[in-house]
Amino acid sequence: MSGRVYLDHNASTQVHPEVVAAMLPYFGERFGNPSSVHGFGREAREGVEVAREQIAHFLRMSTDEVVFTSGGTESDNLAIKGVAAARGAGHIITSQIEHHAVLRTCQFLEGQGFAVTYLPVDGDGLVNPDDIRRALRPDTVLITVMHANSEVGTIQPVDAIGAIARERGIPFHVDGVQTFGKVPIDLDGFGIDLLSFSSHKVYGPKGVAGLYIRKGTKMVSVQHGGEHERRRRAGTENVPGIVGFGKAVAVRAREMEAEAVRLTALRNRFWDGISARVPDVRLNGHPTRRLPGTLNLCFRHVESESIVLGLDLKGVAVSAGSACTSGNVEPSYVLVAMGVPLDWAMGSVRATLGRENTDADIDYVLEVLPPLVERIRSLSPAAVS
Amino acid sequence: MNYSETLIDHFRNPRNAGMMRDPDGVGEDTFEGCGDLARFYLRVVDGRVADVRFQTYGCGPTIAASSAGTELASGRSVSDLLTLSERDVAAAVDGLPAERLHAAEVVAGALRAAARDYVARRNGGRGMEASRHV
Repeated sequence: MSGRVYLDHNASTQVHPEVVAAMLPYFGERFGNPSSVHGFGREAREGVEVAREQIAHFLRMSTDEVVFTSGGTESDNLAIKGVAAARGAGHIITSQIEHHAVLRTCQFLEGQGFAVTYLPVDGDGLVNPDDIRRALRPDTVLITVMHANSEVGTIQPVDAIGAIARERGIPFHVDGVQTFGKVPIDLDGFGIDLLSFSSHKVYGPKGVAGLYIRKGTKMVSVQHGGEHERRRRAGTENVPGIVGFGKAVAVRAREMEAEAVRLTALRNRFWDGISARVPDVRLNGHPTRRLPGTLNLCFRHVESESIVLGLDLKGVAVSAGSACTSGNVEPSYVLVAMGVPLDWAMGSVRATLGRENTDADIDYVLEVLPPLVERIRSLSPAAVS
Repeated sequence: MNYSETLIDHFRNPRNAGMMRDPDGVGEDTFEGCGDLARFYLRVVDGRVADVRFQTYGCGPTIAASSAGTELASGRSVSDLLTLSERDVAAAVDGLPAERLHAAEVVAGALRAAARDYVARRNGGRGMEASRHV
């Protein structure tokens, strides 16, 4: 335990040292523009294409099915707007707990005349595939459902949803930003036509992500300019970022399986320890169908931000489920959609574990968190009277 | 979010936390937007606050401002307390970020309510004063 414990890996991760090493030459002598014909350009191009192969190999797809973008948000925008614009009009099915990159893109399209169905989730955060079936319309042009939610980690039955989409010939987009490199993704088996996946959640650099586009998926580009990425995404490639992304994925291929087992055990030990030591605490998200390192807790009678601040002062980084802006606290829309009562939802705290976390980290948190909750509760009139 | 050292100190080591038996005045304030709630209990001797306690549900800044609020109220005359401003409370924690000014509002509002409650009780009334920010 180095004095600081980072438990916010769903927000971002530390770049793997091997990734940093792989990127460095591309800030230096291999600085060329991959579109250039000369040697400098060819060196940069080679870096980009090696990364493309690393990622294609990992997801078992062909290299011409991946487009590099600037982040998960851009990948989601490109997928949804790209498919929608190719059709011009129609109906889109999504869920109420998608990332804002999906929700707000769908809302934008509503303003452009598209119809959107936002499906509810159950108490564990699961979308019911039967709801998808019931929501289908003759003019449905896209189904977009996330693989796992970043706040609670619940893993959706994308295989069942994909089967429905395939049966009806409707493109199926999956926001896989939180699952990519953490749990297996079977593009063919799940029936996925478009997959958003990002680098900085899996120990790669920020500012780079990918979109898988299954061959034959009808879509148009949303960013216009040069001929980059087979005319699907204009703009000079982020070469060092892409090289780092490829390396990060190669490392994931090596580490993912064992890490998932280790983090699941660590996360469960965290929950067992907290629930044994702290009264009035609940676990949000599916008990088992959940991201390996994700633990979302609600402490009744405390406000999340006071826990986040208290832990921060002890060197522990977690995130708050509710966000306060100018005295307006919005309880997490994900927890609200899951039906978590408001007095619990206000006290939600998310801890997300990653490759650097150790047993000693969890021991330390189990030592400092219970007295912190007790102290804050002792100040609260709600808990006392 | 950047908080002052004074604020952090009050959050870590809150002064005068807890409830008070048979207080001379009680007041609370809630901030509708976020559900933050501060409650203050006063013991008054010769028109001055002789003892003060707080109970607060809220974010770190609201807890810290409550603690600092008890220090502001201590020894102060009730008539002074009736006009305590948000600015006084914010200054007592060496300032608040713009997005957390509600902490000072809810604390100042609750302390003023407690002072009003003391005055009302002395004039024969009974019961806690409460105000609300919406």
